[in-house]
Amino acid sequence: MPMTKVMEGNEAAAYGVKLSRVEVIAAYPITPQTELISTLASMIARGELKAEYIKVEGEHTALAATAAASAAGARAFTASAAQGIVYMEESIWMPPGMRLPVVMCIVNRAIAPLGGLRPDHNDSLLQRDTGWIQIYCENGQEVLDTIIQAYRIGEDKRVYLPVAPCYEGYVVSATATPVEIPDQEEVDDFLPPYKHEMYSLYPENPRSPPRLMRSIAEARYEVQQAMERAKKVIEEVDREYGERFGRYYDGMVEQYRCEDAEAVMVTMGSITGTARDVVDELRAEGKKIGLVKLRVFRPFPTEEIQEIGKRVRAIGFVDRNTSYGAVAGCGIGCIETARALYPLDEHPLLLNYFVGLGGSDVTIPQLRHIAKRILKAAETGKPVKDVEWVELEKLEE
Amino acid sequence: MSLVEKFEEHYKEKLVRPGNGCCPGCGGSLAWRMLLEALGKNTVLYGGAPCAGCAMRVIKLPRFGFHFSFVGDGASGIAAAFKVKGREDITVFSSAGDGGVGDISFGKVSACAERNDNFIQCCIDNEAYMNTGIQKSGLTPYGAWTTTTPTGKKSKKKMIPMILAQHRIPYLATLSIAYPQDLMKKVRKAKEIRGFRYLHLVMPCPTGWRFPASKTVEVARLAVQTWIWPLYEVEKGILRLTMKPKQRPVEDYLRLQGRFRHLTEDEIAEIQRSVDEEKERLLERDGKNIWL
Repeated sequence: MPMTKVMEGNEAAAYGVKLSRVEVIAAYPITPQTELISTLASMIARGELKAEYIKVEGEHTALAATAAASAAGARAFTASAAQGIVYMEESIWMPPGMRLPVVMCIVNRAIAPLGGLRPDHNDSLLQRDTGWIQIYCENGQEVLDTIIQAYRIGEDKRVYLPVAPCYEGYVVSATATPVEIPDQEEVDDFLPPYKHEMYSLYPENPRSPPRLMRSIAEARYEVQQAMERAKKVIEEVDREYGERFGRYYDGMVEQYRCEDAEAVMVTMGSITGTARDVVDELRAEGKKIGLVKLRVFRPFPTEEIQEIGKRVRAIGFVDRNTSYGAVAGCGIGCIETARALYPLDEHPLLLNYFVGLGGSDVTIPQLRHIAKRILKAAETGKPVKDVEWVELEKLEE
Repeated sequence: MSLVEKFEEHYKEKLVRPGNGCCPGCGGSLAWRMLLEALGKNTVLYGGAPCAGCAMRVIKLPRFGFHFSFVGDGASGIAAAFKVKGREDITVFSSAGDGGVGDISFGKVSACAERNDNFIQCCIDNEAYMNTGIQKSGLTPYGAWTTTTPTGKKSKKKMIPMILAQHRIPYLATLSIAYPQDLMKKVRKAKEIRGFRYLHLVMPCPTGWRFPASKTVEVARLAVQTWIWPLYEVEKGILRLTMKPKQRPVEDYLRLQGRFRHLTEDEIAEIQRSVDEEKERLLERDGKNIWL
């Protein structure tokens, strides 16, 4: 029987790793990921998790050892955040190009110097071009479920790509919520043992993927195609997970009260929970506002965003990141959304809101302000401002 | 049997196929033949560098690697995977050059040694970044010309084997292609030991050291005979010199190589003094525990 326990996000992640029967872990401590890797160490020490844990001397090694273990036939895991992610940058490019389905939790934290210990999304979004599937989780339960799904998605032979479940430090990692722990047997049934068709490092039967096809362009195109195919796999895996375990996350994007919405707010990660309350409040006031939770950032849900774009008058992207000097001063999410909307015959207005940078709190008044501004733009056809740094604005009541 | 048939017969048993992309006279192609002979078939290779390793794409063993900034780490991952899978019978052999082991991945190698990860790390040391075209590394010797030390290197060679000895690893040895029996004996011994084992092989590079391609083995032998590259092993802390040749003057070795052409007599005398001192220190400690 599944069991429900109150636990922090990092512990939920550790349960996800354990239930996935990970065989090799290589990790280096960094706040706010540490409770995850120390919980895993305890699980191994207690004999609950049969895995080799390499306590490495840095993140560059952590991911390299993880990837090599994956090539050698073991299901492998690592986790990091902020400075650690940036430090391992060279390693990050290896698993996608080598088609190794490792899983790495990115426990989002703002990058120094203009960041502290608290979260924003720049560390994971910086990796958007590398070929990692990125899934943003709202709470501990989703973290646990997403890690199990991540191995199913990455190890699917239509995909063979690494997956990064991302969740914000503290807000998710250190917040205790009730989390249902699925039965091991049922997870085993859902997630069969890892077997890579391209690789074998066993001397009696060596196999390695073709280093170069006709050209490097072709190998890269194959990664791009795998990303495209992953969209369908993510949806399939999430749906099957929902059927088996009772929790379906709507695949690539979740639409909340969007049916007749004239204005929608797009969020990622933990902000979604707060935004849901704000939408409920405004709906009670008769406002036609909806919420779109961008669960998967890579591959980007182009079709879903286009479909929403056809129905609404204004979209406001809530970006918890900065991309200094980017087009029109926008954040990363807004830029991607703009391209998704571009081919439409009629565009909705596209607005951009920066919140929670460097880990500052994202509050109900802030999100209410954002929602009202999007609604006003939908109503008048003219935004008050295209891009707002919400913390620096005088908020609407 | 025709010559071609003899060739084919020979290579059927070997772990390398004939032909490679190495420079003429490369010590690396010799080194790899000897290493593979001793390692045997039940081996996985990790790492690509140095250039001889890259040039020898025709090794009949499973290989995996990233880049030269990843020395040892992947081997740790592979060894961990093999342990989980109950396949510790497979030898994991990680190779890298002097720039990888001594400079960019030095911290990684040190960490693998500290964790006592179960694989053999080999440094194939040609005393500079040769793949990029002869740039100075931490293992370039004093006085040597490289394209980034045009007037000769002013500092000394980093003594990696002795640094790793202080990590209390179960086994390490220095190797030379001029002494194949000694080399293969040490590799076979390393193979039988569990934990982190370190092999350091100085490999003459005619292109980078500026000597004729026909003199590779002679240069390698002189490195040992002058005591510039002494051959020893350290097993559980006990140092043992495996070769104690009658000492020849360092000049014999230095004068063969264009990279030392600019050295003055005073500088050569200084190198001789320093080699003599190190020889004395080694002889004093021969047969003794050198863990500090």
